Amino acid sequence: MRFRFAGIASLVVLIASVAALGASPALKPFERGTWQSVLKGHAGRPTLVHFWGVTCGPCKVELPLLGRFVKEHPEIDVVTVSADLVPNLPGATQSMLDKAGLSSTENFIFNDGFVERLRFEIDPSWQGDIPRTMLISRDGIITTIEGSAEISDLEKWSAQQLAKH
Amino acid sequence: MIRSGLLGIVAFAFLQGTALGQMHGKHASEAACDEPTLRCATKATPAFGPDGTLWLVWMAGGQISVASSQDKGRSFSAPTQVTTKRLNLDWGPDARPKIVVDRKGGIALAFSTFRDEAFNGQVLYTRSADGGKSFAELKPITASNESQRFEALALDQDGTVFAAWLDKRNRIFAKEAGQKYEGAGLFFTSSSDGGTTYAEAKLAREGTCECCRLGLAFAAPGRPVVIFRNIFEGGVRDHAVMTFADVSTPGEVRRVSNDDWQINACPHHGPSLTVAPNGTYHVAWYTNGKARKGLFYAHSRDEARTFSAPMALGQPGRNPTRPFVLAGPAGTVMVWKEFDGEKTSVQMTISRNDGETWSPPKTISSTSDTSDHPLLVSNGKRTYLSWMTKADGYRFTAIEDQP
Repeated sequence: MRFRFAGIASLVVLIASVAALGASPALKPFERGTWQSVLKGHAGRPTLVHFWGVTCGPCKVELPLLGRFVKEHPEIDVVTVSADLVPNLPGATQSMLDKAGLSSTENFIFNDGFVERLRFEIDPSWQGDIPRTMLISRDGIITTIEGSAEISDLEKWSAQQLAKH
Repeated sequence: MIRSGLLGIVAFAFLQGTALGQMHGKHASEAACDEPTLRCATKATPAFGPDGTLWLVWMAGGQISVASSQDKGRSFSAPTQVTTKRLNLDWGPDARPKIVVDRKGGIALAFSTFRDEAFNGQVLYTRSADGGKSFAELKPITASNESQRFEALALDQDGTVFAAWLDKRNRIFAKEAGQKYEGAGLFFTSSSDGGTTYAEAKLAREGTCECCRLGLAFAAPGRPVVIFRNIFEGGVRDHAVMTFADVSTPGEVRRVSNDDWQINACPHHGPSLTVAPNGTYHVAWYTNGKARKGLFYAHSRDEARTFSAPMALGQPGRNPTRPFVLAGPAGTVMVWKEFDGEKTSVQMTISRNDGETWSPPKTISSTSDTSDHPLLVSNGKRTYLSWMTKADGYRFTAIEDQP
């Protein structure tokens, strides 16, 4: 029984590690309801959600800066969402995340062709412009930065979040 | 342990399978299917020929195809495939294939592809001289190898085809000079042989927003007019209009409206322009500026020197998007999309007094899945809505509120 238990335990560990491994290189699909799961999953923790896309020029400039921010701010949960309209480029998306030092963050890719509906769930007034960053405080207050974020603003927000704690 | 290991592998395979299934599921695509047929199209663009034939160009399954309809879109001829192989077509939200049909029935096409893994674009063109039965080999519209996207085509009265697009060729010079390069350049060319060959590309304006469609029309014979999202001082991405003196001479940049949208981003949401026979410019656009947010309409009766006060379009809570305006035989018509959380609808309004007043908007079509931008096209007698939808296929509908 003990061996069996050990076997099951190691299986659980194996599955968990495989899932973890899978989550790191594999992008998570962002679908209907994912936004609420993200909010729930990070509730009570300062969270930065960054929307970007592989064809967006300003995103290419901002992504490595965000990578550096992540490294320097382990206390902030960072989630990225590739919000391009056709979510069929996980390879290019992952490659850009890797180059930007964002391999280990929680990374999503839009996986519903009905993007109007996905965006509506996130913010009914968002028409798809990227980059876009949503800063979610511990108490759930969302501050949206349209366009490229100034890293100094992220630093400031991050410091405020820590000070509040 | 071996058993566990196997189970682990099975579990791994299952996890991977689920992830892949999710990533490649049908629902994940903008297209209903992956064939080059019209039913699978994500973008379709119409044009009427001189004889009243409706022509349609679409992108589906990585290919560009053309077909015609003699019964106002109820049925289409067997399609002619313009591309000979699957291409990495520009799938950006504001990209679409373009078509003009001249008085002799010649069909000029242009569209963009992604030429590399960095998503640099290339504008290709072709022409049919045999009524759409065959198309010439695809050629780049310019020899430059830098990124080009968001081409627009318009036909002059004398058959000249005018083309404009956004082009990043000067980025490299700015980089060499250690200067910051923002956005893209508005480039243009024209063809005096119906789109068989194009003149050398010229720059009209540097520093325009790089990821929004252009609006293009003729203000008068020989005088193209372009609307584009410009980058004004301070990174403000508001709209501007340029009226050309002739097909090779750009004009002044004239601001449509002071929306004050200062943003370093790709709005993916370009404007629309039509010129009425009396010369009035009607424009519609999206902004999220400090001064105003949403969809707006304005007109100019002095070639864009001054514009009327911006008029808001649509219900703010329903995310109005993708405006299109067309001056037609029975009035000036505008359409745009709204989304109520479940369905996308096309809203329509019409003005019978050259844009002074507009009818209350009404829903003229709706769909429960993703859709292309709503477009308007006129055959000189009536104005029609052209709308590609994933759930319900292609729709071509006469605007009802007409005589």
